[in-house]
Amino acid sequence: MTWINERLNIRYAIWALGIVIFLAIPHVVDDKLLMHLAILGMLYAIVASNWDLTLGYAGVFNFAHLAFFGIGAYTSGILAVKLDISPWLGIPCGALSAALASVIVSIPAIRLRGIYVALLTFACSQLVLLLLLSQPLITGGQQGLTGVPQLQIGDFRFRESRFAHFYLVGLLLLCSTIFLRRLVTSDFGLSLIALRDFEEYAVARGIPLARQRLLAFLLSSIFPGLAGGVYAHFLIVASPDIFGFSLTTLLLSMVLVGGVATIYGPVIVGVVMTYVSELMASSAWMSDVFGISRGPVRFMFVAVLIVLTMRFFPQGVWGLVKQFSARVRSSQKDAPEEPAQMR
Amino acid sequence: MTLEALVAIIAGALVSGSLYALMASGLSLVWGTVRMFNFAHGALVMVGAYSAWYVSNRGGIAKALQPIGKSIVASSEDSGALGSLLLPLGEWILSIKGGFGLALGVPFAILCCGLVGYIMYVLLVKPFVGKPGADLIVIITTIAGASFMQNGVQVIFGPRYKQLDRILKGPPLQILETAIGLQEVLIIILTPLTLFLLHLFLKHSKLGLAIRAVAQNDDFAHLVGINVSQIYPLTFVVSSILAGLCGVMLGGLFFILPTMGAQELLFAFVVVVFGGLGSLPGTIVGAYVIGFIRESSAYIIDLYWAPVVLFATLIIVLIFRPRGLMGGEDS
Amino acid sequence: MLFQVEGLVSGYGKIDVVRSLSLHVDEGEHVGLFGPNGHGKTTLLRTVSGLIPAKAGKVRFRGEDISNLDARLIVERGLIHVPQGNQLFPQMTVQENLTLGAYVRRSDSRKASNFEKVFALFPRLQERRAQQARTLSGGERQMLSIGVGLMGMPELLLLDEPSVGLAPLIKEELARAIAEIAATGVSMIVVDQDVELLLGICDRLYLIEKGAVSLETADVSQVDQAEILEMYFGKVT
Repeated sequence: MTWINERLNIRYAIWALGIVIFLAIPHVVDDKLLMHLAILGMLYAIVASNWDLTLGYAGVFNFAHLAFFGIGAYTSGILAVKLDISPWLGIPCGALSAALASVIVSIPAIRLRGIYVALLTFACSQLVLLLLLSQPLITGGQQGLTGVPQLQIGDFRFRESRFAHFYLVGLLLLCSTIFLRRLVTSDFGLSLIALRDFEEYAVARGIPLARQRLLAFLLSSIFPGLAGGVYAHFLIVASPDIFGFSLTTLLLSMVLVGGVATIYGPVIVGVVMTYVSELMASSAWMSDVFGISRGPVRFMFVAVLIVLTMRFFPQGVWGLVKQFSARVRSSQKDAPEEPAQMR
Repeated sequence: MTLEALVAIIAGALVSGSLYALMASGLSLVWGTVRMFNFAHGALVMVGAYSAWYVSNRGGIAKALQPIGKSIVASSEDSGALGSLLLPLGEWILSIKGGFGLALGVPFAILCCGLVGYIMYVLLVKPFVGKPGADLIVIITTIAGASFMQNGVQVIFGPRYKQLDRILKGPPLQILETAIGLQEVLIIILTPLTLFLLHLFLKHSKLGLAIRAVAQNDDFAHLVGINVSQIYPLTFVVSSILAGLCGVMLGGLFFILPTMGAQELLFAFVVVVFGGLGSLPGTIVGAYVIGFIRESSAYIIDLYWAPVVLFATLIIVLIFRPRGLMGGEDS
Repeated sequence: MLFQVEGLVSGYGKIDVVRSLSLHVDEGEHVGLFGPNGHGKTTLLRTVSGLIPAKAGKVRFRGEDISNLDARLIVERGLIHVPQGNQLFPQMTVQENLTLGAYVRRSDSRKASNFEKVFALFPRLQERRAQQARTLSGGERQMLSIGVGLMGMPELLLLDEPSVGLAPLIKEELARAIAEIAATGVSMIVVDQDVELLLGICDRLYLIEKGAVSLETADVSQVDQAEILEMYFGKVT
């Protein structure tokens, strides 16, 4: 089957090309804001694509997902600020505490169905926020935790380098994406889909519902926890805004617009969306057109985008791409793929 | 524990229980009837508080009207016969420097919230009714709605906090040596009254009966000729008005911020899960129970740990009664 | 002709349960439908009353096409569907259930006198008027279900399996009540498994199989009842 080999070769070629382009970006692009947004976008892409594991594949509405990110940020930040622990140790600790939190949340959550899961996880994330706000001496309260040290290796300071954060976060995103894609195409991923689509049948066939859901929560929390730590050291602040409706909406839009149960969709749209929304916040035409402060307006746009997506493109951008390529391929005599759909 | 402390706890429990009851009963009503969960319910509380503030406070519409009043007065001077008509109008506008007061502010807030609730239903809920997974889709769209409203209010009013006038002014009431503010007393009295009105509406009005009918059996509701597609938005409007009232009361107690209501929404969630979704009596009892747990744990342990105690309670309830403490056969 | 169904097709999703069914009811006539379970009798009633859409065919009431009209508009025209007794508002009292039966405009103003009529027909409902519907016995629920239908002042009453699952004594009581309603001149379609019950009430019978009329009797009074029973049971075995 030479055409399979061909397709594989093309695939590797695309990956190689992508990596080369990626490595070249910080040396070509000379715009500080653009680079900043790229890094932020990749961090959000990590959080969004991991959310896709629970939301898209497991079909569980986990609204505590951003809390994993926040817990990662605060853990690493607090360890560095209050205990002077190196970020390189703090960031994994952040992932660990995010994982711990995911297990705590999932224990009651896996027993529940539909709407109750959403309520419980939402309550959980807001409670984490309340706890953070209640200890201002440790967490900085409403103002957030300031003075988080930046990343450095020896004397090499990441914030002073054009490429260090970019490469680090890029590597993290790459690892996360490979991890997620492997996961969702593995037996574990298939069992999640089976539980999502035909719960009773899947359980009857011996798939342990509670264990798989707990694992889904746990596995979806690790990379956001890591990303949270990097986020805090990158922005040198950990802010309670992470838990707000606005960021939740933004990240939710990345998953939905990108296409649920696709992983690639949220990754790509995560980066793009960050660009669009941040540029919206910083571009002059917004204030010229509306004559108002711009920050909040972008979140209003994001909200509108979400509702429009849910209404008109429930399968998201990646779903449309897949549908389109399936149509092209099926005309080349190949089995069409079912587009992913919001259940 | 002293008697004084007990009175303080009970008073606190009644105040927060009232606020939770107002919010949670709206959530429960919508869930029971439309089978949807409104995550923008907290934002409606905020809309209620802001709209009441806008009309009643001198920083709101009164301030915005001043230049208009001035220009009317100015133009009345050189427009002859018409001027004698315009002058009193302009002077009247100039005279309301202090705002219209809560007497107009509260009805306006109710109107606003009802309207916003209706618009929300049309844009965020209606397109998805009857589709598979609609309840989960609507969570997403209403979260988006909440974000839209929060940020929208911030655009209009700015991020700085506002404060609503207290409805009753005067020295706090002394009950067994414990001082209880008049606003608090008012909340304690008005909430059961409001809920009683809600009860009367649901029990004895034709529309209220129809709402309950749709909640219990929408197939049969169709067969007796109820226009089910009209009952859904109606339920949203009623629930939004309850949220708005909660906002008016809350706005007299605390500061008004674009993000207000989020914390109350959280407690309302705890309440509805605790009391069982869709059961109004369960919700109301649950609200006061949660209020009591919160206040007493805040007093006995620590204010900041009260949410944790509540949360632990919630988890325990969910582990043993996944459909809420008082949730019955409802699925 | 009061009511006519022509070539009706309907069902759930892609599956057709009613497949090109035609029947008619004359003014003041009482028509019985019987036949095996799952062959489309209930689906027919649900389509006629607007709960599920008709995919093809026509439903005419007083000459007007009412297929795919909103359910409430069909009720407003006096075509009232009484579902099986488990379809009530369970957490409402008997009184509230009956009140909702008079929800539509045409019956709202005559509520009081209709209450009296229903209570005269089913004295037991009057005794239990303050009780929640879910606490009623099977027979009482069925009475309530019919009562709710009567509150809407039907011109054509569709009764779905009024006798299903009832003890013989209650069944008889119910059959008497239905005969009484029939005697007031209300036109009726009664669906039931119990052919004897239908024979006691109806002027004509249709046998429904595989979503269509497979047999239509002439005036029942002209036909030997045993013959009909034999036709039905003979066909099944």
